[in-house]
Amino acid sequence: MMPSLLILIPLFVIMAINLPKHTGRRLAFYLALALFATQMILAVFHQKLFLTNEAVGIDRFFRVDLSIDHLGVVALVCMGIVSISSLFVSRYMPLDESERFKFTNLLVIMSIGMCGIVMAKDIFSLYVFLEITAIASFILIAFKKDIGGLEGAFKYLVLSAIATVFMLLSIAAILLVSKDTSFAAITEALKVSGSQPVVIAAIAIFLCGLFIKGGIFPFHGWLPDAYESSPAPVSILLAGIVTKVAGVYTIMRITMLFGSSASINNVLLLLGTLSILVGAFAALGQDNFKRMLAYSSISQVGYIILGIGAGTPLGMAAAIFHFFNHAMFKSLLFVNAAALEKETGTVSMSKMGGLAERMPVTGTTSVIGILSAAGIPPLAGFWSKLLIIVALWQAGRYSYAAIAIFAGVVTLGYLLTMQRKVFFGKLSAGLDDVKEAGFGIVLPSVILASIVVLTGLLFPFIFQSFIIPVKELLQH
Amino acid sequence: MTNKILLLSCVFIPLAGAIIAPLAGYISTKFRNALALAAISASFIAAASLIPVVLAGNTITVSANLPLGFNFILTADCLAVFMATVSSFICAIIVLYSFGYISHYRNQNEYYLMVVLFLGSMMGLVFSANLIFLYIFWEITAIASWRLIGFFREKRDILRADKAFLVTVFGALAMLLAFVLIYQKVGSFDLAAIKLYFKTTPVPDIAVILILLGILTKSATLPFHTWLPDAGVAPSPVTALLHAAVLVKIGVYVFARLFIVTFTPSEIWHTIIPALAAASALVSAGAALVETDLKRIIAYSTVSQIGFIFLGFAVNNTIGIAGAMLFILMHGLAKGGLFLCAGIVEQNTKTKDITRMGGLISTMPITALSFLACSFSIMGIPPFGGFFSKYMVFSGAVGGGNIYITLAFLSGAVLTILYLFRLFNMVFLGESRGNLAKEGSATMIVSVAVLATMSLAGGIYIIYPSSFVAVAVKQMVGM
Repeated sequence: MMPSLLILIPLFVIMAINLPKHTGRRLAFYLALALFATQMILAVFHQKLFLTNEAVGIDRFFRVDLSIDHLGVVALVCMGIVSISSLFVSRYMPLDESERFKFTNLLVIMSIGMCGIVMAKDIFSLYVFLEITAIASFILIAFKKDIGGLEGAFKYLVLSAIATVFMLLSIAAILLVSKDTSFAAITEALKVSGSQPVVIAAIAIFLCGLFIKGGIFPFHGWLPDAYESSPAPVSILLAGIVTKVAGVYTIMRITMLFGSSASINNVLLLLGTLSILVGAFAALGQDNFKRMLAYSSISQVGYIILGIGAGTPLGMAAAIFHFFNHAMFKSLLFVNAAALEKETGTVSMSKMGGLAERMPVTGTTSVIGILSAAGIPPLAGFWSKLLIIVALWQAGRYSYAAIAIFAGVVTLGYLLTMQRKVFFGKLSAGLDDVKEAGFGIVLPSVILASIVVLTGLLFPFIFQSFIIPVKELLQH
Repeated sequence: MTNKILLLSCVFIPLAGAIIAPLAGYISTKFRNALALAAISASFIAAASLIPVVLAGNTITVSANLPLGFNFILTADCLAVFMATVSSFICAIIVLYSFGYISHYRNQNEYYLMVVLFLGSMMGLVFSANLIFLYIFWEITAIASWRLIGFFREKRDILRADKAFLVTVFGALAMLLAFVLIYQKVGSFDLAAIKLYFKTTPVPDIAVILILLGILTKSATLPFHTWLPDAGVAPSPVTALLHAAVLVKIGVYVFARLFIVTFTPSEIWHTIIPALAAASALVSAGAALVETDLKRIIAYSTVSQIGFIFLGFAVNNTIGIAGAMLFILMHGLAKGGLFLCAGIVEQNTKTKDITRMGGLISTMPITALSFLACSFSIMGIPPFGGFFSKYMVFSGAVGGGNIYITLAFLSGAVLTILYLFRLFNMVFLGESRGNLAKEGSATMIVSVAVLATMSLAGGIYIIYPSSFVAVAVKQMVGM
């Protein structure tokens, strides 16, 4: 099997739904659904299908250099689940059929970009796929063409352009020492000339570009605006996977590629910790549901960065685990945000209240989501945070471990505040005819919540089949 | 083999019951109530039938090896079985009482889910012989109590519930940090491995401090005690369950499990901890003396009595430890009874302000008598159970040699007598200053009467619990 299939199939899907005029439009939803399901199945059974070093079929002919490893599998599974959730939610948004069709197209294009990021084995392809993802997301953020959406998209566009310049500059600098842009060649070249100032500068610049993409402090300014102003299905995508794959996953790849050095780790740890704290404290003061979740994302990404910054195989494994968990619980919370926005017509938390009575399912899944986000056992988020903290402690980064652990109280604080304002308490005036949002929103919410609970309860299985392979992969 | 099944059923029957009971609630409320009580009673019976096994000096272990040293181990020794039996018994009585108390409120399914889940995780906690699972169950009890305190949906209730949750989570996270520290040193979360490791090396003080933060927040001891009186907004059976009988005992149980059974902290802690406990006992007894809210008085009394338990465990001699264990039993019975009586009074008079009560003994005699019996036990008046436990803790403290701390606790005990008599006077004696409410429902009265009788019987037949505790203490200190 060829990894490039994961890019070729979506390309065909796009063609297939656009060529016949009317049937394509009607089928677009189901085709996209089938596509993401296939993507997940391929990812889960990758071991049998893809884990060969030999390129076969078209890949050999065109010399496409793509591969999937254990790290990539986790990202692919996340992408599948979150894309499906977003697709379901998009059916319930006030969009007409042609807009919905556009959305599906952009979603598939975005998924091509992200699959490419996950599988790329040379730094220039990585850059190209990052741009594909970014372009699709600019349009998606501004999808409603309202002032807020355009502003959010514009901010992202400008900062993304800066990130582009950074990355290209860095690639050029790396080409000074390396014979081509493939990861293998760069690793070889760095063994010889890894300590040259130009190489160190190149790495630093590239990472800065990725920090912008991932919305990490101090480059996080665009993120709350983008999440807040984009339509609900898009904010699910952005928060769940796009910024994570484009920013965080790539940081993992790059640090693995460049090898972990103490100085890079110090920077990662510092920025990760600051992200955690800034995100958490900023989230405390928000009244807009989606904006609060956006700041919470910044904070949670900080944990992933801390895991990477621990510089140990366990840290990296924990980081990818938290990547997965964050994708699940944050998408869950954004799906719930979509349900609330649809039913109450507002995203202001102070206008909501007592909704648990009217939306019992959403209220319950929300509790699961916030407890997982705050790292309360036995839910999934606890295990990944625990592993990150164990990794930090074993790496001798005691104070970072302590800050990371106690930031959990702040996280719990703002999430409990949200739960209290929105779901508990007395039903606010004017919300009497609120009911549970439609099947298409409740279903993803319930599925994501079950994934969160099951991942937490079945952690030995998760450890055995994902964490330990990743750890061993990195030890070699 | 049967013992292993008993041990597993102690933990997993309530955990499974927690999932099934609310589902059953959609079919019939009676069926759900019966199921909840059955799950808890099954757990109690399983725990009680382990008593002869552990008394014979055996320990039962069920374990599954999991990656990275996160092994799942349940161990039943005397201390664990003792704790499990006491908490499941009190929990069963409280559920019985809830049938009457909770029957006219909303969200009953959630209530029974959380109560049964709470007991299940409590059982998991006492039997866990692995720090990480201990932590997990610890936090599940926190989740359950968060939802139980916030049972009524008023803004104030939710805020208080959030406060309790945040304070205990803060402490738990500190404790988790200590566990990670120990994990790095020992390479495992298993208590047996940790015990072996610390036989030769002293425990780092920072770990002791961090674990103490967890214990003190959970057991609501000074300076982290304020969440407990505030949590009195919860329904009375919940306050009885969480704040008197079971939840606050988690802290002292983990204290015994870690600081006595597993490792010994350095000498200085045997002065610091009793001093902290003394301050806690005195301050909260003072607060109980001036409060006018019925449930807050009893809650402060809990904070105060927990100090005595800490004293017993911290003086580190056998009589002190035995006294503290008996104290857990006697205080659980009596304080549970007090809270449940308070529930009857509060529900029928529709107020919690004791200045607007009085003379209630004429209309609710059984409640009044039960209240008095439980109060006697808490005060430590012979022949009630509380006398023996308090006496043993004091004699342990005297043996420990710090006369000032013992004197502080003596005055704490005097204050206990004062505030409980004041409370009884204001509520049940004298002229009525409010309405003379009628007696509670049958299940509620039976529940309080059982607890009151048990408090008395615990003193008269003190020989049974104390002989069990004597074996337990031998096992704990490793003689």
